[in-house]
Amino acid sequence: MRINKTILTIGLPALLMFALLAFFRQSGNAVESPKAPPAPVTVDSTRCIAQTEYMRANHMKVLHEWRNSSVREGNRVYTSPNGSRFQKSLNTCLGCHSTNRLFCFNCHMYANVRPKCWNCHLSPMETP
Amino acid sequence: MIEKALKGNRNYWAWIASLLAVIAVGITAYNRQHWFGLTVTGMGRDVSWGFYIAQFTFLVGVAASAVMVVIPYYLHNRKEFSKTVIIGEFMAVAATLMCLLFILADMGRPDRVLNVLLYPSPHSMVFWDVMVLNGYFVINLVSGWTVLGAERRGVPPPSWVKPVIYLSIPWAVSIHTVTAFLYAGLPGRHLWLTAVLAPRFLASAFAAGTSLLILVTLVIKQCTGFDTGKEAREKLAVIVTYAGIVNFFMIGTEFFTAFYSHVPSHMHSLQYLFFGLEGHYTLVPFMWFSLLLGLGSLVVLLLPGRKSSPKWLAAACTGLVVSIWIDKGVGLILGGFVPSPLEEIVDYQPTLTEIGVTLGIWAIGLLVLTLLLKVAVSVKSQE
Amino acid sequence: MNKERREFIRKTGLGVLAGICASSAFMPAFSLEETVLPAWDEKPVPGKIRWGMLIDTRKCLNECSECVAKCHFVHNVPDFGNRKDEVKWIWKSSYEHVFPTSTQQFRTSDVLQRSFLALCNHCAEAPCTRACPTEATFRRWDGIVSMDYHRCIGCRFCMAACPYGSRSFNWRDPREGIKLASVDYPTREQGVVEKCNFCSDRLVRGLIPACAESCPQKALTFGDLNDPKSDIRVLLESNNTMQRKPELGTKPSVFYII
Repeated sequence: MRINKTILTIGLPALLMFALLAFFRQSGNAVESPKAPPAPVTVDSTRCIAQTEYMRANHMKVLHEWRNSSVREGNRVYTSPNGSRFQKSLNTCLGCHSTNRLFCFNCHMYANVRPKCWNCHLSPMETP
Repeated sequence: MIEKALKGNRNYWAWIASLLAVIAVGITAYNRQHWFGLTVTGMGRDVSWGFYIAQFTFLVGVAASAVMVVIPYYLHNRKEFSKTVIIGEFMAVAATLMCLLFILADMGRPDRVLNVLLYPSPHSMVFWDVMVLNGYFVINLVSGWTVLGAERRGVPPPSWVKPVIYLSIPWAVSIHTVTAFLYAGLPGRHLWLTAVLAPRFLASAFAAGTSLLILVTLVIKQCTGFDTGKEAREKLAVIVTYAGIVNFFMIGTEFFTAFYSHVPSHMHSLQYLFFGLEGHYTLVPFMWFSLLLGLGSLVVLLLPGRKSSPKWLAAACTGLVVSIWIDKGVGLILGGFVPSPLEEIVDYQPTLTEIGVTLGIWAIGLLVLTLLLKVAVSVKSQE
Repeated sequence: MNKERREFIRKTGLGVLAGICASSAFMPAFSLEETVLPAWDEKPVPGKIRWGMLIDTRKCLNECSECVAKCHFVHNVPDFGNRKDEVKWIWKSSYEHVFPTSTQQFRTSDVLQRSFLALCNHCAEAPCTRACPTEATFRRWDGIVSMDYHRCIGCRFCMAACPYGSRSFNWRDPREGIKLASVDYPTREQGVVEKCNFCSDRLVRGLIPACAESCPQKALTFGDLNDPKSDIRVLLESNNTMQRKPELGTKPSVFYII
């Protein structure tokens, strides 16, 4: 009886949410019909592209590499060793990490580094 | 050896102090530019290079002219240039340094300057210019300093320095050729798109740069009593005369090609510079002043006996330097941008900040030159 | 009671989250991150596509500047209200300015009064990419002459090299000149050169350039010049067209019907 109740409390909203999003899918995906409809890549956003320790030390290198290969060679998709695929973009990171608006700033201020990302890109502090 | 630059009389230190004051002004002005961006200069979307690049072009010529003393002394063994050659080399060092500083001052993101080396692009003339300018700087500093050091110790200079000096001769030609190629390879800028630009640059360099060298030797004689020799100065004045004539001859050929062919785009820039175009006359007085002053100076040099009078020589050399500075620096750079690719005319005027930075860089160059020459003169006069 | 309520809220919340996760796994549009979906997932083949544009100036209305406004909004192009600091990607000018080397005498009054769009030509033989000392501007795999703002040193060589005046320099901080900011595209920063990017940011999402999309007259046709069946090629074959300053051999990818 108790287990049933738990399943119900978790499952029902989950199902509702799924149905709701599936329903709005059409409007959410309304994109101008392009000349040659491209095959979209499934983008995984439920986990980070690499281990936290690695990212902490190397995120700037990753971003630099991503930028070069996507802007200059047009290679826009990153496949991580475990097979997940990501769009090579600063926004891929900010998609999750900007939920904490100070995510970048706290650490950069502590380390006294002033990257110039936000001279051009919209920082999590500026996004509505 | 550098300790010799730390001993001097009151005039010497007053000169150093005034240069430092000008440098301080320059740094303040540059700070402003760095903070607010290049909007504080007179440059804009249509005339996107101005005073800085003009100084740069002129100074590459000054640097290249060192070859006019190196060739007779080292290649033809003309002993009368023995005291002048070090001055020419050190002037080249100071001028090259100023060139590099002017390029830095003109850049929007000077913090990224190393990208030029990080992503070498042989198809870009700027890449080659950075290479040859830095190389020339090192070559002249090393050869000048080594020969001077040997002289101080009373021993012959090491044998490896000879090839370096010989290398500096074609290298001097290369710096000004590559600098001309910066401009001469751009489609749609008709004042620059001419094969005669590189030879003209070399001729004007050997006229103005060598004139400046003569002036420096005269100043040194006045201030320190160290005389590089009247004979050397007169020989240099002959070089100046011929180079000046060739320079003005080539300017004349530019006029012929543009106006006889009557191709509008070829005429427009020259019209703007010398006659005014569609009501824009800003540069006309400067260009005629430059032309008449240059020709007048050449006449003085050609008249018999005038060369041997220091006053006339100084006057003629000053005239040529100013004339070519206007013509090859300011006129050539601004004329290339007017009219714009969309045939619009936009006038350019340097701002105070821009002039401040320019003076600052000149002061840095003069400071380096003063220190180097102080060492040279001290060694040469056995102090 | 209180404890029970808290438990309920916790579990419901978990459920909502699980729902979002499940749906975003199936439908990428609902992932939390707001990223654009790439239109291709492999490294593109260089030279396969050559994007180009055909401007039918007969359709272009003098009083309309919808394309300019849309482009400058989408790409956060600043407006300082003065000519010296001006930054522009696309603009309107007269025939004599856009085609200074083409026939000037005895043109119809209609042509002389019409306004013509000027933008980067994305030349096949671009002088700007040749002049750039850091390859900050380069010709892409799809023919677009692109800018790498991260690499530009601001020497303005490309501006001197461009025979079409298509390039602008950020003489000052561009953010001061943006009244209405778009969140879809970054701004630039003080000290770098910028220009039209043929909407490479939109192409990657499968959209056509903003100027072409916004034109109420449908005067702008965008397409692949290497594809003989594309709209632009069909139009190019059935109309008499012009390029800007063809005598310079830059091979522009922007064509005009006069």
